[in-house]
Amino acid sequence: MVESTITFPYQRSLGPVLGAFLTALTEERLIGIRSGDRVLCPPLEWDPETGAELAHDFVDVGPAGTVESWCWVAEPSEQHPLDHPFAFATVRLDGADTGLIHVVDAGSADAMSVGLRVAPRWRAERRGHLTDLEAFVPGEAPVPGGGGGADEPVTMMGYNASISYTTPVPDNVVRSEAAAAEGRFLGLRCPICGRTYTGGRGYCPVDSIALTAEHEVDLPQKGVLTSFTIVTPVQYPGQTETDPFARVHVLLEGTDVVLSYQALVDTPNEAIRTGLRLAPVWASAAELGDGAGDTREAGLIGWIPTGEPDATDPDLVNRLC
Amino acid sequence: MAHSPAAVVGIGQTHHKKKRWDVSLGGLVREAARRALDDAQMDWGDIDAVVLGKAPDLFEGVMKPELYLTDALGAHGKPMFRVHTAGSVGGTTGIVASHLVETGRHRRVLAVAYQKQSEGNAQFALGSGKGASLGAGGAFAPFIRSYIHRSGAPLDVGPMVAVKDRQNALKNPYAHLRLEDISVESVKASPMMWDPLHFLESCPSSDGACAVVFTDRAGGEAAAADGRPPAWVLGSAMRSEPFGFPGRDPVLPQGAADCAEDVYAQAGITRPREQIDCAELYVPFSWYEPMWLEAHHLAGPGEGWQLVESGATALDGSFPVNMSGGVLSSNPIGASGLLRFAEAALQVRGMAGEHQVDGARVAVAQAYGASAQYFSMWVVGASLDPFG
Repeated sequence: MVESTITFPYQRSLGPVLGAFLTALTEERLIGIRSGDRVLCPPLEWDPETGAELAHDFVDVGPAGTVESWCWVAEPSEQHPLDHPFAFATVRLDGADTGLIHVVDAGSADAMSVGLRVAPRWRAERRGHLTDLEAFVPGEAPVPGGGGGADEPVTMMGYNASISYTTPVPDNVVRSEAAAAEGRFLGLRCPICGRTYTGGRGYCPVDSIALTAEHEVDLPQKGVLTSFTIVTPVQYPGQTETDPFARVHVLLEGTDVVLSYQALVDTPNEAIRTGLRLAPVWASAAELGDGAGDTREAGLIGWIPTGEPDATDPDLVNRLC
Repeated sequence: MAHSPAAVVGIGQTHHKKKRWDVSLGGLVREAARRALDDAQMDWGDIDAVVLGKAPDLFEGVMKPELYLTDALGAHGKPMFRVHTAGSVGGTTGIVASHLVETGRHRRVLAVAYQKQSEGNAQFALGSGKGASLGAGGAFAPFIRSYIHRSGAPLDVGPMVAVKDRQNALKNPYAHLRLEDISVESVKASPMMWDPLHFLESCPSSDGACAVVFTDRAGGEAAAADGRPPAWVLGSAMRSEPFGFPGRDPVLPQGAADCAEDVYAQAGITRPREQIDCAELYVPFSWYEPMWLEAHHLAGPGEGWQLVESGATALDGSFPVNMSGGVLSSNPIGASGLLRFAEAALQVRGMAGEHQVDGARVAVAQAYGASAQYFSMWVVGASLDPFG
């Protein structure tokens, strides 16, 4: 199994309706929007039934409301809004005709019931997020957080999204990584078309058959550079590169195997050219740490020129797959 | 074959910009959809089904946007579809919507595609959240290097496309980039981002949306009788192929050729460049104009760059390409395919304004995605029998 986590700071533009709602939260106010005879809270930009435009006719609702439905969270995770047991609940605020899904900090499930009256408990630090309202608590009286509202209307919301995956590793990939850890390329040759694949790809995409241990073949430790690019890195959150870096396509000599978008080791960008002969650089056992499984060739750090004369096939640059 | 032809009777798009922070995500798609409905003289209640397309959810970090945007698109109580075929998704979204009409399942269908790139970062998303993301430019640059070698094209051809498309964009009020002073020299002097691609040979990151309203034969004929010319979908096709295997040629993919042959056959086209008046192709990086002209049989092998160099693909040339300014001028990724399809329809409706090709009767549009693995194309005509 391989664990991986992806995190990114997204930016949301809120528009005129959610912006007004979140601005009101910083002022410890809850607002809804009129839609025909109804008041919607949370407010929506459009009539959810007909899709019609809604005038920005906001009305104060709450602060107290009534629980319409609830679900007890007995064992909160790190991503839950409270660190102790609580209820997710639909709360219909006084003066509203729709329910707001939020948190009720009731102490125990025994304290929860449909029809329970609740009021907001506000955070001291409010920034225009739904969690400015920390939780609803039983009773009619809001619990103030103190302080004032936002200086400027809230128009944007930062959102640090994070998701973790656990991915099973297929047998072919396990064997491929084991070979890489020994400094070997593991090939899988299709018995029908004769094409060879690396990196533990357990199938032939041309013939649609599984490739398993019985199809393994040894591959040479020499390659030739076919096509390439030199990338000027864009600085996004999580970028690890600061200087222009190369990615090259490598044809393993004497085979039809092309390894695409490979890294080079100790090679100035000016020296990169089609026909350059290369040898793989393998990680030592000590270097094979948590990164194993992140790349197709776990033990392969990159490629280094051998110093031999360039290959001269004029159409090498077309060997891309 | 279709049971009933589909007609495009409404087209709308946003003003594409680097940051559309004046609207919510819903507000963005709504802006395009409202313009399409107005163009079709319809309201939300007239629509039977909605088809939504966008690129991977990692771009904005909004999961299941098709559910989140249901109210913004008036889809309450209606079928709502999400389409996803990487960068080609906008084109595929239009094709799926047209099929819903052609099969007789629905009479009026709204297709919407969008991207709000400013909410996240495309290179982060394309790199699966890791460092050293190649970005799309880095992925395609080795293919472009191969094309330049095999075609013998002069190195100025890419910059010429970059200039031509940005000049067309100056005639399109919705286009993102407005580079008044761009020249082949300034393109070549711009930073090398993905060798051999310069910064100015690359598409921008845009926020934007596009919407198209489809109706059936009766609806299309009624619009025509009312003085609102429809665009008739004469053919549509999609192809996909694996990322890589020995023998695959990502410069001239088999899927690209098969897709083109299929769509031309449906439309009754045997001599594409003679019978088609103009083309709107998915060209996010300059060299993809000659590459797709060849891959889609609009030019012979090695002839694509000669069409560019001769000026044939300019707005006033014999075979205009990317009249709108193309992906090189506006790139809300998920919407970019539908924008191509919509531009082709605008042309045959005679409604393309300053970037109208005089007398355009038949136009082809194309979008591609992933590592040149997905292809979506359609041919639209001013009539159902433009060669009759």
